[in-house]
Amino acid sequence: MKQRHTLLEKDGAQSVVASLVSIVIGLLVGSILILVVGAFSANLGMASAWEGIRLVFFGIFSTGRNAAGALTWGFNPQSIGNMLFRATPLILTGLSVAVAFKTGLFNIGAPGQYLMSTMVTLAIALGIPADAMPKILLWLLAFLGGMLAGALWGCIPGLVKAFLNINEVLACIMTNWIAANLVTWFFDANKVFQNTVENTKSGYVYMTAYGKTMVDGAWTYVKGNGVQTAKLGLDKLFPGSQINAGILVAVLMAIGVYILMTKTTLGYELKACGSNRHAARYAGVNDKRNIVLSMAIAGALSGAGAALYYLSGNTEFFWSTYQSLPATGFNGIPVALLAANNPIAVIFTGIFMSMLNIVGLQLTNLTAYNEYITDVIISVIVYLSAFSLVIKMIISSRRKQKAAVEAAPAAPAAAPLSGTEAPPEPDRPEETDAVEEKGGERV
Amino acid sequence: MRTMEAENIIEMLHITKEFPGIIANDDITLQLRRGEIHALLGENGAGKSTLMSVLFGLYQPEKGIIKKNGQEVKINDPNDATALGIGMVHQHFKLIDVFTVLDNIILGAETTRGGFLQKKEARAKVESLSQRYGLKVDLDAKVEDITVGMQQRVEILKMLYRDNEILIFDEPTAVLTPQEIDELMDTMREFAREGKSILFISHKLNEIMAVADRVTVLRKGKYIGTVDTKDTDKQSLSNMMVGRPVQLEVTKTPAQPGEPVLEVKDFCVPAKGHKKNAVNNVSFQARAGEILCIAGIDGNGQTELVYGLTGLEKSSGGTVTLCGQDVSHASIRHRGDRMSHIPEDRHKHGLVLDFTLEQNLVLQRFRESRFQHMGFIDQKAVREYSEKLIEQYDVRSGQGPITRARSMSGGNQQKAIIAREVDREKPLIVAVQPTRGLDVGAIEYIHGQLVSERDKGKAVLLISLELDEVMSLSDRILVMYEGEIVGELDPKQTTVQELGLYMAGAKRMDMTGKEGEGA
Repeated sequence: MKQRHTLLEKDGAQSVVASLVSIVIGLLVGSILILVVGAFSANLGMASAWEGIRLVFFGIFSTGRNAAGALTWGFNPQSIGNMLFRATPLILTGLSVAVAFKTGLFNIGAPGQYLMSTMVTLAIALGIPADAMPKILLWLLAFLGGMLAGALWGCIPGLVKAFLNINEVLACIMTNWIAANLVTWFFDANKVFQNTVENTKSGYVYMTAYGKTMVDGAWTYVKGNGVQTAKLGLDKLFPGSQINAGILVAVLMAIGVYILMTKTTLGYELKACGSNRHAARYAGVNDKRNIVLSMAIAGALSGAGAALYYLSGNTEFFWSTYQSLPATGFNGIPVALLAANNPIAVIFTGIFMSMLNIVGLQLTNLTAYNEYITDVIISVIVYLSAFSLVIKMIISSRRKQKAAVEAAPAAPAAAPLSGTEAPPEPDRPEETDAVEEKGGERV
Repeated sequence: MRTMEAENIIEMLHITKEFPGIIANDDITLQLRRGEIHALLGENGAGKSTLMSVLFGLYQPEKGIIKKNGQEVKINDPNDATALGIGMVHQHFKLIDVFTVLDNIILGAETTRGGFLQKKEARAKVESLSQRYGLKVDLDAKVEDITVGMQQRVEILKMLYRDNEILIFDEPTAVLTPQEIDELMDTMREFAREGKSILFISHKLNEIMAVADRVTVLRKGKYIGTVDTKDTDKQSLSNMMVGRPVQLEVTKTPAQPGEPVLEVKDFCVPAKGHKKNAVNNVSFQARAGEILCIAGIDGNGQTELVYGLTGLEKSSGGTVTLCGQDVSHASIRHRGDRMSHIPEDRHKHGLVLDFTLEQNLVLQRFRESRFQHMGFIDQKAVREYSEKLIEQYDVRSGQGPITRARSMSGGNQQKAIIAREVDREKPLIVAVQPTRGLDVGAIEYIHGQLVSERDKGKAVLLISLELDEVMSLSDRILVMYEGEIVGELDPKQTTVQELGLYMAGAKRMDMTGKEGEGA
């Protein structure tokens, strides 16, 4: 029964299938919702419902409507470019949550880390005069400052967990709201960062690139110092979109995290602490240091997400955060879950999540549906991704049943000690078929 | 063996059960007669637990059938097993810690009327069972507050409450004190007299010889044979089990103690949740080339002593000197440079169960320059090293170095830990209950390793609860009672009875003089 190592027997492949199943079910539920809403709504009807369903699945390739009013499809550089732009912070908060998960910690504090980084990034980028240093240096300073702020904010729950054994989830939730109010206060008190150009926009901070084209235009007052992420020609590839090199930074950081977790001694220590803190301690690993370090790395990644988003140059920060925490921070959790905490997979799940975002906008723009349908889809997927372990179990037990039927007539061959092929690094322990393990838990 | 159909209450015929990389049960036949105590003997990983899990409905066999009273039955889950009157006391109890004893017993078989629990009836039934078999339990105590021995009695009452007539005991004595073991044996005999049939999984030959009528021996998943205990003896049973002649006694030459490696002086370790010290003013020396054993009944401070010595717990007084260096306040890692530690709890401390075998084999050594360059782990070096250890120490697993530690049998997990710790070549080896829960073959092997390390000039500090082990393996015995060392004995000149008196606190030496001698 184990001679053939088919794809589905590998843990990694099973994770991918489990995530895909979650996604497909999520999209189907969204479709049913669209159908139901369409059927009972006077101004929608079944034709609109069909359009809505097609948009849910293929919205990223929608190019609008033609003269006859029918949906048109094709490569839409603006949508795809914006998808990648919006994926940047999601990938990073996803990485943040994934790294903490690998160390056995639940980083629900990504929103707070994200906010603290936003504050520091914008304070540096807007607070230092543009002519004080080269813009690229200022950008780097703001980016690193944001990461550091996120890291320090992440350290707090880490320290509290390591030294006082207080659950990091509680500490994270509290530090989230402390961050929200701190940031609100900071921007409220420092009028210098506020955008008073447009009087209706009282709650906004200047974009960092604000005024770039305002040499002698209609604007009378120029603020912002032109600091923005390099585009590296990506704007030519996806004209009309907000894309910049941030997505490349995010991908590089994901690869970096992958290498850190699988190839280095530090990653080994972090994972050992996460899987069995006692054994790590026994082996002379400083478990307290590793818990703090893990949260710091997680915080730095969330911080990088915020920095890349707000340094793009044309994003404004609405600082009335006391109303809510940034969704990007929380959405890191489903991104990580759907990726089964694999840093490389986080790139794809992050992009997928932001695709749903774009799809939501397309729904609003092109039909009478609103974008909140995609929130339902995301919720269903998140819900199901928590079941991905169950889905994996179903897959592997089906494989086993099949194998058992096949193996039954054949004489059992001596079990070879196959130490040749290494399976991909699974993130969760597979349902072990421990020979000596009592199986009471399986019932 | 031809027996009449009705004589066998349970027959498992030609059972085959496979797992990836291993055939756990290969064409195994087991026939349980009505009213007998039938032992199932085999090394760790021989397939005993798998076979019982098949009988209890936790696993489905690929081949083979199960008959009850000559009728073929299908056992798809534990509920089917319960319906057939099969009950099981698992090695690791399946109890809910925060429930009371009574609630645990009736859980899953509650008497209800109109949806309401009828605890009064249940209580009466449990009380009468408890009295009839002398199984003393406190029905209103929470499980987390009672002793392991009492927890086991709760598990037994659970089976009786369900009117089971086939009782499976999976390694029931591993967690019990000698007195509790005797009581359990009496209870089992009583059950058998009443016509209940008992399957007794064990690898302790003494107990099998004392209580069982017949023994079925498994080895590496295969059926070896079934014998009557009255026609056999311990030596031939262990030969059947291991497949080669086994030495039940430790052979070793007299110790050649050298320089002290470990010196402990007025050492104190605080107890959890108490003001009193768990280890109180303990002083001793462990010398190179000797096996020093700390004997005592479980819970007399041995665990805390080891935690204090290894740095897992902070000490509250006294000094620890290792190879002439004061390490009283040193980090675990620093102490680990001169000390190997075979921990008491292999799942808690010894292994990261979700890691692979090779990752576990370098749990301390991954920082050494041989296994990493600039912070990047040299996977190839780790693989080569682990393959060497696996071969040298005969660690068996489904997939070699990449096997998850969790999926290995207990004996092989322990062997992996021993391999790792012994191969680190440190002057002091602290071995805490290194053979707990292991079978004869593995025990022989581990004892041999410890003696050979001693002969290489290492100091071995052995902490053991097993009197046999203490007497046969050690060169010098210190007895610990209530956190203090109450006696120093020479295993060649003392008896088990005398040792027992010290362990129970009935006798104690004046250790103040001894200290002076050590200093």
